[in-house]
Amino acid sequence: MAFDAERRQELRELFVTFAAARDEKVRATLIEAHIGLAEYLARRFNNRGEPLDDLIQVASTGLIKAVDRFEPERGLEFSTYATHTIVGELKRHFRDKGWAVRVPRRMQELHLRLSTLVNTLNQDLGRSPTIPEIAQAAGVSEEEVLEAMEAGQAYRFTSLDAPVGGEDGGSLGSTIGEDDDSMIDVEHRVALSPLLEKLPPRQQNIIHLRFFEGLTQSEIATRLGISQMHVSRLLARSLAQLRQDAG
Amino acid sequence: MPDQVQLAMPADPEFLRLARVTAMGLASRLSFTIEEIDDLRIAIDELVFGLIGTKGRPGTVAMTYELLDDGLEVKGVGNFEDGEPTVGLTELSELILDAVADEHELTTTAGSPTFRLLKRRTEV
Repeated sequence: MAFDAERRQELRELFVTFAAARDEKVRATLIEAHIGLAEYLARRFNNRGEPLDDLIQVASTGLIKAVDRFEPERGLEFSTYATHTIVGELKRHFRDKGWAVRVPRRMQELHLRLSTLVNTLNQDLGRSPTIPEIAQAAGVSEEEVLEAMEAGQAYRFTSLDAPVGGEDGGSLGSTIGEDDDSMIDVEHRVALSPLLEKLPPRQQNIIHLRFFEGLTQSEIATRLGISQMHVSRLLARSLAQLRQDAG
Repeated sequence: MPDQVQLAMPADPEFLRLARVTAMGLASRLSFTIEEIDDLRIAIDELVFGLIGTKGRPGTVAMTYELLDDGLEVKGVGNFEDGEPTVGLTELSELILDAVADEHELTTTAGSPTFRLLKRRTEV
Protein backbone atom coordinates (compact mmCIF):
# COMPACT_ATOMS: atom_id res chain seq x y z
CA MET A 1 0.00 0.00 0.00
CA ALA A 2 1.39 3.36 -0.93
CA PHE A 3 0.22 6.88 -0.21
CA ASP A 4 1.16 9.89 -2.24
CA ALA A 5 3.52 12.40 -0.63
CA GLU A 6 0.76 14.74 0.43
CA ARG A 7 -1.27 12.00 2.10
CA ARG A 8 1.84 10.64 3.78
CA GLN A 9 2.57 14.03 5.24
CA GLU A 10 -1.03 14.41 6.33
CA LEU A 11 -0.86 11.07 8.14
CA ARG A 12 2.48 11.95 9.75
CA GLU A 13 0.87 15.06 11.16
CA LEU A 14 -2.08 13.06 12.37
CA PHE A 15 0.27 10.71 14.20
CA VAL A 16 1.89 13.68 15.91
CA THR A 17 -1.55 14.98 16.85
CA PHE A 18 -2.57 11.59 18.16
CA ALA A 19 0.65 11.14 20.11
CA ALA A 20 -0.03 14.43 21.85
CA ALA A 21 -3.76 14.24 22.55
CA ARG A 22 -4.72 10.55 22.13
CA ASP A 23 -7.95 11.62 20.49
CA GLU A 24 -10.23 8.68 19.65
CA LYS A 25 -11.40 10.12 16.34
CA VAL A 26 -7.84 10.68 15.17
CA ARG A 27 -7.01 7.17 16.27
CA ALA A 28 -9.90 5.75 14.24
CA THR A 29 -8.84 7.77 11.20
CA LEU A 30 -5.29 6.45 11.47
CA ILE A 31 -6.49 2.87 11.81
CA GLU A 32 -8.85 3.19 8.88
CA ALA A 33 -6.14 4.76 6.76
CA HIS A 34 -3.86 1.76 7.28
CA ILE A 35 -6.38 -1.05 7.26
CA GLY A 36 -5.21 -1.93 3.76
CA LEU A 37 -1.79 -2.77 5.17
CA ALA A 38 -3.36 -5.11 7.74
CA GLU A 39 -5.40 -6.83 5.03
CA TYR A 40 -2.40 -7.12 2.75
CA LEU A 41 -0.30 -8.75 5.47
CA ALA A 42 -3.17 -11.03 6.50
CA ARG A 43 -3.38 -12.28 2.91
CA ARG A 44 0.29 -13.15 2.97
CA PHE A 45 -0.53 -15.62 5.74
CA ASN A 46 -3.54 -17.03 3.94
CA ASN A 47 -3.81 -20.71 3.01
CA ARG A 48 -2.15 -21.87 6.18
CA GLY A 49 -5.19 -23.34 7.79
CA GLU A 50 -6.91 -20.25 9.11
CA PRO A 51 -9.89 -18.45 7.52
CA LEU A 52 -8.88 -15.16 5.95
CA ASP A 53 -11.49 -13.21 7.89
CA ASP A 54 -9.90 -14.37 11.15
CA LEU A 55 -6.46 -13.40 9.90
CA ILE A 56 -7.67 -9.95 8.92
CA GLN A 57 -9.12 -9.58 12.40
CA VAL A 58 -5.80 -10.59 13.94
CA ALA A 59 -3.88 -8.27 11.64
CA SER A 60 -6.28 -5.48 12.54
CA THR A 61 -5.54 -6.05 16.20
CA GLY A 62 -1.85 -5.73 15.37
CA LEU A 63 -2.56 -2.54 13.49
CA ILE A 64 -4.43 -1.04 16.42
CA LYS A 65 -1.53 -1.89 18.73
CA ALA A 66 0.87 -0.31 16.25
CA VAL A 67 -1.17 2.89 16.05
CA ASP A 68 -1.35 3.07 19.83
CA ARG A 69 2.34 2.49 20.37
CA PHE A 70 3.86 4.37 17.43
CA GLU A 71 6.15 7.21 18.41
CA PRO A 72 6.41 9.57 15.42
CA GLU A 73 9.28 11.54 16.94
CA ARG A 74 11.57 8.56 16.42
CA GLY A 75 11.47 9.19 12.69
CA LEU A 76 10.53 5.69 11.62
CA GLU A 77 7.91 5.25 8.89
CA PHE A 78 4.67 4.00 10.40
CA SER A 79 4.28 1.31 7.74
CA THR A 80 7.66 -0.17 8.69
CA TYR A 81 6.79 -0.14 12.38
CA ALA A 82 3.26 -1.46 11.81
CA THR A 83 4.40 -4.26 9.51
CA HIS A 84 6.63 -5.57 12.26
CA THR A 85 3.83 -5.40 14.84
CA ILE A 86 1.17 -6.90 12.57
CA VAL A 87 3.37 -9.77 11.38
CA GLY A 88 4.26 -10.45 15.02
CA GLU A 89 0.58 -10.62 15.89
CA LEU A 90 -0.13 -12.98 13.00
CA LYS A 91 2.75 -15.26 13.94
CA ARG A 92 1.59 -15.35 17.54
CA HIS A 93 -1.89 -16.21 16.30
CA PHE A 94 -0.55 -19.18 14.38
CA ARG A 95 1.52 -20.29 17.29
CA ASP A 96 -1.34 -20.05 19.78
CA LYS A 97 -4.51 -20.41 17.83
CA GLY A 98 -3.79 -22.67 14.91
CA TRP A 99 -6.14 -25.35 13.77
CA ALA A 100 -6.07 -28.32 16.14
CA VAL A 101 -6.06 -30.63 13.18
CA ARG A 102 -4.85 -29.86 9.72
CA VAL A 103 -7.88 -28.86 7.73
CA PRO A 104 -7.48 -29.03 3.97
CA ARG A 105 -7.79 -25.73 2.23
CA ARG A 106 -10.67 -27.09 0.15
CA MET A 107 -12.61 -27.76 3.35
CA GLN A 108 -11.87 -24.34 4.79
CA GLU A 109 -13.13 -22.76 1.60
CA LEU A 110 -16.22 -24.93 1.57
CA HIS A 111 -16.89 -24.01 5.19
CA LEU A 112 -16.74 -20.32 4.34
CA ARG A 113 -18.90 -20.82 1.24
CA LEU A 114 -21.50 -22.73 3.22
CA SER A 115 -21.81 -19.87 5.69
CA THR A 116 -23.31 -17.70 2.99
CA LEU A 117 -25.31 -20.51 1.48
CA VAL A 118 -26.92 -21.52 4.77
CA ASN A 119 -28.00 -17.93 5.31
CA THR A 120 -29.62 -17.82 1.90
CA LEU A 121 -31.36 -21.16 2.44
CA ASN A 122 -32.55 -20.01 5.87
CA GLN A 123 -34.25 -17.06 4.24
CA ASP A 124 -35.61 -19.00 1.27
CA LEU A 125 -36.97 -21.89 3.32
CA GLY A 126 -38.00 -19.89 6.36
CA ARG A 127 -36.25 -22.43 8.56
CA SER A 128 -32.88 -23.99 9.14
CA PRO A 129 -31.91 -26.19 6.16
CA THR A 130 -31.12 -29.89 6.30
CA ILE A 131 -27.78 -31.31 5.19
CA PRO A 132 -29.17 -32.75 1.91
CA GLU A 133 -30.62 -29.33 1.08
CA ILE A 134 -27.29 -27.63 1.73
CA ALA A 135 -25.40 -30.28 -0.22
CA GLN A 136 -27.68 -29.90 -3.21
CA ALA A 137 -27.45 -26.13 -3.20
CA ALA A 138 -23.66 -26.25 -2.86
CA GLY A 139 -23.21 -28.99 -5.44
CA VAL A 140 -21.23 -31.18 -3.04
CA SER A 141 -21.92 -34.42 -1.21
CA GLU A 142 -23.62 -34.58 2.18
CA GLU A 143 -20.40 -35.99 3.64
CA GLU A 144 -18.51 -32.96 2.42
CA VAL A 145 -21.03 -30.65 4.09
CA LEU A 146 -20.65 -32.53 7.38
CA GLU A 147 -16.89 -32.49 7.04
CA ALA A 148 -16.91 -28.75 6.38
CA MET A 149 -19.13 -28.18 9.42
CA GLU A 150 -16.73 -30.11 11.60
CA ALA A 151 -13.77 -28.34 10.01
CA GLY A 152 -15.20 -25.05 11.21
CA GLN A 153 -14.80 -26.22 14.79
CA ALA A 154 -11.25 -27.43 14.33
CA TYR A 155 -9.53 -24.75 16.31
CA ARG A 156 -6.95 -25.26 18.95
CA PHE A 157 -8.44 -23.90 22.13
CA THR A 158 -5.33 -23.50 24.21
CA SER A 159 -5.10 -19.76 23.99
CA LEU A 160 -8.29 -18.00 23.22
CA ASP A 161 -8.18 -15.68 26.14
CA ALA A 162 -7.26 -12.53 24.32
CA PRO A 163 -10.50 -10.59 24.29
CA VAL A 164 -9.32 -8.11 21.73
CA GLY A 165 -11.48 -6.97 18.85
CA GLY A 166 -14.54 -8.67 17.42
CA GLU A 167 -14.65 -12.35 16.67
CA ASP A 168 -17.07 -12.13 13.83
CA GLY A 169 -14.76 -11.15 11.03
CA GLY A 170 -16.70 -7.93 10.73
CA SER A 171 -15.11 -4.77 9.46
CA LEU A 172 -12.68 -2.95 11.65
CA GLY A 173 -14.85 0.11 11.42
CA SER A 174 -17.57 -1.74 13.27
CA THR A 175 -15.32 -2.33 16.26
CA ILE A 176 -13.23 0.79 16.52
CA GLY A 177 -14.21 2.90 19.46
CA GLU A 178 -16.98 0.48 20.29
CA ASP A 179 -17.82 -0.03 23.90
CA ASP A 180 -17.81 -3.81 24.10
CA ASP A 181 -19.41 -3.76 27.53
CA SER A 182 -22.55 -2.39 25.99
CA MET A 183 -23.10 -5.71 24.24
CA ILE A 184 -24.37 -7.22 27.41
CA ASP A 185 -26.68 -5.27 29.60
CA VAL A 186 -26.16 -5.13 33.30
CA GLU A 187 -29.05 -7.43 34.07
CA HIS A 188 -27.60 -10.16 31.88
CA ARG A 189 -24.11 -9.66 33.19
CA VAL A 190 -25.28 -10.34 36.72
CA ALA A 191 -26.66 -13.68 35.60
CA LEU A 192 -23.38 -14.80 34.07
CA SER A 193 -20.98 -16.80 36.14
CA PRO A 194 -17.45 -15.52 36.72
CA LEU A 195 -16.31 -18.20 34.28
CA LEU A 196 -18.34 -16.69 31.46
CA GLU A 197 -16.93 -13.28 32.18
CA LYS A 198 -13.54 -14.48 31.04
CA LEU A 199 -14.88 -14.75 27.50
CA PRO A 200 -14.72 -11.83 25.08
CA PRO A 201 -17.95 -9.80 25.36
CA ARG A 202 -19.34 -10.89 22.02
CA GLN A 203 -18.93 -14.54 22.94
CA GLN A 204 -20.52 -13.94 26.34
CA ASN A 205 -23.41 -12.39 24.53
CA ILE A 206 -23.81 -15.32 22.17
CA ILE A 207 -23.65 -17.82 25.02
CA HIS A 208 -26.22 -15.82 26.90
CA LEU A 209 -28.60 -15.52 23.96
CA ARG A 210 -28.35 -19.19 23.04
CA PHE A 211 -28.36 -20.92 26.41
CA PHE A 212 -29.96 -18.42 28.77
CA GLU A 213 -32.44 -16.76 26.44
CA GLY A 214 -33.07 -19.80 24.24
CA LEU A 215 -32.63 -18.02 20.92
CA THR A 216 -31.76 -20.21 17.94
CA GLN A 217 -28.43 -19.77 16.18
CA SER A 218 -30.23 -18.17 13.23
CA GLU A 219 -31.97 -15.70 15.49
CA ILE A 220 -28.66 -14.80 17.11
CA ALA A 221 -27.05 -14.49 13.70
CA THR A 222 -29.74 -12.06 12.57
CA ARG A 223 -29.49 -10.05 15.75
CA LEU A 224 -25.70 -9.72 15.50
CA GLY A 225 -25.50 -9.41 11.72
CA ILE A 226 -23.28 -12.45 11.25
CA SER A 227 -23.88 -15.85 9.68
CA GLN A 228 -25.46 -18.79 11.49
CA MET A 229 -22.36 -20.87 10.89
CA HIS A 230 -20.26 -18.16 12.43
CA VAL A 231 -22.48 -18.24 15.50
CA SER A 232 -21.97 -22.01 15.54
CA ARG A 233 -18.23 -21.59 15.39
CA LEU A 234 -18.16 -18.97 18.12
CA LEU A 235 -20.32 -21.16 20.33
CA ALA A 236 -17.94 -24.07 19.84
CA ARG A 237 -14.96 -21.86 20.61
CA SER A 238 -16.58 -20.39 23.69
CA LEU A 239 -17.60 -23.74 25.12
CA ALA A 240 -14.13 -25.15 24.53
CA GLN A 241 -12.60 -22.18 26.28
CA LEU A 242 -15.01 -22.46 29.20
CA ARG A 243 -14.13 -26.12 29.47
CA GLN A 244 -10.46 -25.33 29.47
CA ASP A 245 -10.86 -22.64 32.09
CA ALA A 246 -12.95 -24.94 34.26
CA GLY A 247 -10.51 -27.83 33.87
CA MET B 1 -36.06 -52.65 16.61
CA PRO B 2 -34.50 -49.33 15.64
CA ASP B 3 -31.24 -49.29 13.72
CA GLN B 4 -28.25 -49.05 15.98
CA VAL B 5 -24.66 -47.99 15.47
CA GLN B 6 -21.95 -48.66 18.02
CA LEU B 7 -18.62 -47.00 18.50
CA ALA B 8 -15.97 -47.82 21.05
CA MET B 9 -13.28 -45.21 21.53
CA PRO B 10 -10.49 -44.36 23.95
CA ALA B 11 -11.62 -42.04 26.74
CA ASP B 12 -9.51 -39.26 25.33
CA PRO B 13 -10.75 -35.88 24.00
CA GLU B 14 -8.69 -36.50 20.85
CA PHE B 15 -11.27 -39.10 19.81
CA LEU B 16 -14.34 -37.05 20.63
CA ARG B 17 -14.50 -35.93 17.04
CA LEU B 18 -15.42 -39.49 16.05
CA ALA B 19 -18.38 -39.45 18.42
CA ARG B 20 -19.53 -36.14 16.99
CA VAL B 21 -19.07 -37.02 13.34
CA THR B 22 -20.94 -40.30 13.79
CA ALA B 23 -23.83 -38.46 15.41
CA MET B 24 -23.81 -35.82 12.69
CA GLY B 25 -23.88 -38.42 9.91
CA LEU B 26 -26.76 -40.29 11.50
CA ALA B 27 -28.68 -37.10 12.26
CA SER B 28 -28.30 -36.08 8.64
CA ARG B 29 -29.84 -39.40 7.60
CA LEU B 30 -32.74 -38.57 9.89
CA SER B 31 -33.21 -35.18 8.17
CA PHE B 32 -32.13 -33.08 11.13
CA THR B 33 -31.59 -29.43 10.25
CA ILE B 34 -28.10 -27.96 10.45
CA GLU B 35 -28.96 -26.22 13.73
CA GLU B 36 -30.31 -29.40 15.27
CA ILE B 37 -27.13 -31.16 14.23
CA ASP B 38 -25.10 -28.43 15.85
CA ASP B 39 -27.13 -28.82 19.05
CA LEU B 40 -26.44 -32.52 18.95
CA ARG B 41 -22.75 -31.94 18.56
CA ILE B 42 -22.69 -29.57 21.53
CA ALA B 43 -24.67 -32.04 23.64
CA ILE B 44 -22.32 -34.91 22.85
CA ASP B 45 -19.31 -32.78 23.75
CA GLU B 46 -20.82 -31.81 27.10
CA LEU B 47 -21.84 -35.34 28.03
CA VAL B 48 -18.67 -37.09 26.94
CA PHE B 49 -16.56 -34.48 28.72
CA GLY B 50 -18.79 -35.02 31.75
CA LEU B 51 -17.83 -38.67 31.57
CA ILE B 52 -14.12 -38.45 30.82
CA GLY B 53 -13.20 -34.98 32.11
CA THR B 54 -11.41 -32.37 30.05
CA LYS B 55 -8.13 -34.26 29.98
CA GLY B 56 -9.49 -37.75 29.40
CA ARG B 57 -8.72 -40.81 31.47
CA PRO B 58 -7.43 -44.32 30.92
CA GLY B 59 -10.10 -46.58 29.52
CA THR B 60 -12.78 -46.50 26.86
CA VAL B 61 -16.20 -45.09 26.15
CA ALA B 62 -18.74 -47.27 24.36
CA MET B 63 -21.16 -45.16 22.37
CA THR B 64 -24.48 -46.46 21.06
CA TYR B 65 -26.54 -44.48 18.58
CA GLU B 66 -30.12 -45.50 18.06
CA LEU B 67 -32.06 -44.16 15.11
CA LEU B 68 -35.62 -43.52 16.27
CA ASP B 69 -38.62 -42.51 14.20
CA ASP B 70 -38.47 -38.96 15.44
CA GLY B 71 -34.89 -38.50 16.55
CA LEU B 72 -31.60 -39.89 17.69
CA GLU B 73 -30.78 -41.42 21.05
CA VAL B 74 -27.15 -41.58 22.08
CA LYS B 75 -25.83 -43.52 25.03
CA GLY B 76 -22.31 -43.61 26.37
CA VAL B 77 -20.85 -46.02 28.89
CA GLY B 78 -17.48 -45.38 30.45
CA ASN B 79 -15.16 -48.24 31.19
CA PHE B 80 -12.32 -46.67 33.10
CA GLU B 81 -9.19 -48.11 34.59
CA ASP B 82 -8.26 -45.35 37.02
CA GLY B 83 -10.88 -45.92 39.69
CA GLU B 84 -11.33 -42.16 39.93
CA PRO B 85 -14.80 -40.73 40.48
CA THR B 86 -16.56 -39.27 37.46
CA VAL B 87 -16.90 -35.55 37.81
CA GLY B 88 -20.23 -35.28 36.02
CA LEU B 89 -21.89 -32.16 34.73
CA THR B 90 -21.31 -28.64 35.89
CA GLU B 91 -24.21 -26.29 36.44
CA LEU B 92 -23.33 -24.59 33.19
CA SER B 93 -23.24 -27.91 31.34
CA GLU B 94 -26.70 -28.71 32.65
CA LEU B 95 -27.93 -25.37 31.43
CA ILE B 96 -26.38 -25.90 28.01
CA LEU B 97 -27.82 -29.40 27.73
CA ASP B 98 -31.27 -28.15 28.71
CA ALA B 99 -31.05 -25.77 25.76
CA VAL B 100 -29.73 -28.17 23.13
CA ALA B 101 -31.14 -31.61 24.04
CA ASP B 102 -34.68 -32.89 24.51
CA GLU B 103 -33.61 -35.30 27.22
CA HIS B 104 -30.31 -35.95 28.90
CA GLU B 105 -28.89 -37.62 31.97
CA LEU B 106 -25.51 -38.58 33.27
CA THR B 107 -24.97 -40.97 36.13
CA THR B 108 -21.66 -41.03 37.91
CA THR B 109 -21.99 -44.54 39.27
CA ALA B 110 -18.59 -45.87 40.24
CA GLY B 111 -17.28 -48.38 37.71
CA SER B 112 -19.79 -47.73 34.96
CA PRO B 113 -20.76 -44.09 34.60
CA THR B 114 -23.19 -43.56 31.75
CA PHE B 115 -25.00 -40.88 29.86
CA ARG B 116 -28.07 -40.79 27.72
CA LEU B 117 -29.08 -38.13 25.26
CA LEU B 118 -32.20 -37.75 23.16
CA LYS B 119 -32.47 -35.25 20.38
CA ARG B 120 -35.69 -35.06 18.43
CA ARG B 121 -35.94 -33.52 15.00
CA THR B 122 -38.52 -31.05 13.88
CA GLU B 123 -40.63 -32.12 10.93
CA VAL B 124 -39.34 -30.48 7.78
